[in-house]
Amino acid sequence: MAPYHALMAHFPVAVWITASMIIVVRALNDGPLAKSLDRVLVPFLVFGAVTGVMTYVLGLMVWPADTLQTTPLGRNHMMAATWSMFYWGAVLVLRWWVGEKAWEGLTNRLIMLGLGALGGGLLAITGTLGGHLHGAPSFVSSVLRMIGWEVYATFYFPNWVLVMLAVVIIIMPVIAIATLRGRAARLRAEGGAA
Amino acid sequence: MIRRRTAVLVVTGIFTAALFVSLVTHTTGIVRDDPERNIWIPRELTMPLQLQVAYNEQQIFFRYRWPAERPHVYTDLLRFTDGQWMRQLDSPVGPEPDGIYEDRLTMMVDDGSVPEFQRYGGYITVGANMRDFTDAGAYAGRDDAHRRKYLPATRSDPDDWYSVVDADTLDAQRAAGYFLDLWHWRAHLSNPLGWSDDQLIAWYRLYDSGEGPFFSNWDGAEGRPRFMFDQAETGMHALRLDDVKDRTDLRGHYYLSEDTAVAFDAAREWQEGDLIPGQVLREPSGARATIRVQGEGRWADGEWDVTLVRALDTGDPLEDKILQDQGVYTIALAVHRDAKASRWHYVSMPIQVGLGRDSDLAASRFAGEAPDWSQAAVHEVTLFYPGQVSWPRLTSEIHAGSTNIAKGVPVKYRHKEAQLAVYGVEIEFESEIRRQWWFSLVAGVLLIISFVYSAGLLLKEREG
Repeated sequence: MAPYHALMAHFPVAVWITASMIIVVRALNDGPLAKSLDRVLVPFLVFGAVTGVMTYVLGLMVWPADTLQTTPLGRNHMMAATWSMFYWGAVLVLRWWVGEKAWEGLTNRLIMLGLGALGGGLLAITGTLGGHLHGAPSFVSSVLRMIGWEVYATFYFPNWVLVMLAVVIIIMPVIAIATLRGRAARLRAEGGAA
Repeated sequence: MIRRRTAVLVVTGIFTAALFVSLVTHTTGIVRDDPERNIWIPRELTMPLQLQVAYNEQQIFFRYRWPAERPHVYTDLLRFTDGQWMRQLDSPVGPEPDGIYEDRLTMMVDDGSVPEFQRYGGYITVGANMRDFTDAGAYAGRDDAHRRKYLPATRSDPDDWYSVVDADTLDAQRAAGYFLDLWHWRAHLSNPLGWSDDQLIAWYRLYDSGEGPFFSNWDGAEGRPRFMFDQAETGMHALRLDDVKDRTDLRGHYYLSEDTAVAFDAAREWQEGDLIPGQVLREPSGARATIRVQGEGRWADGEWDVTLVRALDTGDPLEDKILQDQGVYTIALAVHRDAKASRWHYVSMPIQVGLGRDSDLAASRFAGEAPDWSQAAVHEVTLFYPGQVSWPRLTSEIHAGSTNIAKGVPVKYRHKEAQLAVYGVEIEFESEIRRQWWFSLVAGVLLIISFVYSAGLLLKEREG
């Protein structure tokens, strides 16, 4: 399945990289071209999600599960691919759900810009590791090594970081929900006072 | 209550900080020394070695130089403890605490009769259920000390160390050249008298015929040494720990040889901590006396400099690989240093050495008695810690590259030394790392979902 996985990977990678560029352009620009590009963002992301899932499934069929999960490079590639898929799926949901408001105000734009850049980086890492597994290592591996990640070693978190992440995973939506409830209460109070 | 914009910044800040902490702390918390499971991880996973090779009409010379913080020139010392003589039989896990384990250099040599060796080097000799691997001790209900290196075709079942093929087949294999010559230089047990031991790997790690450069000084029946130092010759009856622990001066009588040994005197008043070498050095003979140290194997300024010399044709084709001009041969090196034994060594990938032929390393041909090393090319070799990687594992489905091995793709085509060292360490913690990786993968997914959900909630509200 390796050749088909490599063949299929071109589609989500191309779509998601383009989506990254659209996000960056739209975050920095309100012109007609930027707005036109933004209109195709959601369909692009849907296409990326579909082809991404197909690529992922094909990737799982290259080696038996045990083999893939006992190979450090294989583990890293699978992790980066999983995160990429969920990440871009989440960006799709976000853009769909939030709509045009994603581009309102500097804060929103900066967040979208950050999401686009992070998504592009994740894709680059996933592709690099896939190339490595395929026997074609690139200079990106050396760049990752320079920033502290030895790609030959499995990427995992120590227990205390897992605990910290669990707290972060819970606290972020708690902050968001509490903020919105507080805001609603404040608006009701202001409405009542008026 | 915080405002929307503040909340967005706080959530984004927490997410960014979590990513940063994850990146900084990744791949920590699992790998550690664990002597109970025979695990000790070297602080340096690779080390350099400089190799030069030269030959004349009769002999071949290998010069090896490698860094070693200090020399370790003792092994197997008999110690007077609590009124009796004790022998240390077990190899230490990692470095010996008192530094009592000799430095060693080994070199496997083949002439093409073992084709897998040319592609995968020493990995092919690490068979099933090897000694000092985690959990190997209880395999088949037998102690693992004897389960040493062998070649794959000497077993009928690759997963069973004990499935040795019949003697006729082994003899035929040997006659066909299916064995690896093993040069074995030892800082204690061969170097002082100017020898390298000579072994071979076939169905087992065997010694060449003849007498070796040492013999046991242990009298098992009496539970004491057979010999002690001759005081008239050496000025002492025994060594003290302080003599051996930090010794860097390799002059004088730091070893026990036939010339400096006298019969052990049990009536003497021995002191707590007295040490006598457990092996007595002697001149070897027969096929075991073919590899000499040229000049002196010496340590100075943090580096060993050893040159071994052997006849191209030793006349023992069943025990040595016969070399000749215009031949290309494969070697693989290993170094034990820092008082470590057994599998705690550094190894090389296979290296092709050409005698007058192009190869990884072209040996210099010279006329005369000794080579001029300033004229010989220096080959920089990277040695690496191999961890617990066996040939049965590499050729099984669990290894993603097993299909490449089946196709005959050489190891150096797909792997670098540093990569193999990291893989070697990871295999020692396979189940722990796999579990932690799964937790991390799921945590990352949940983090993404949590952030995007939180950001979405805040972003879809208008400022105010």
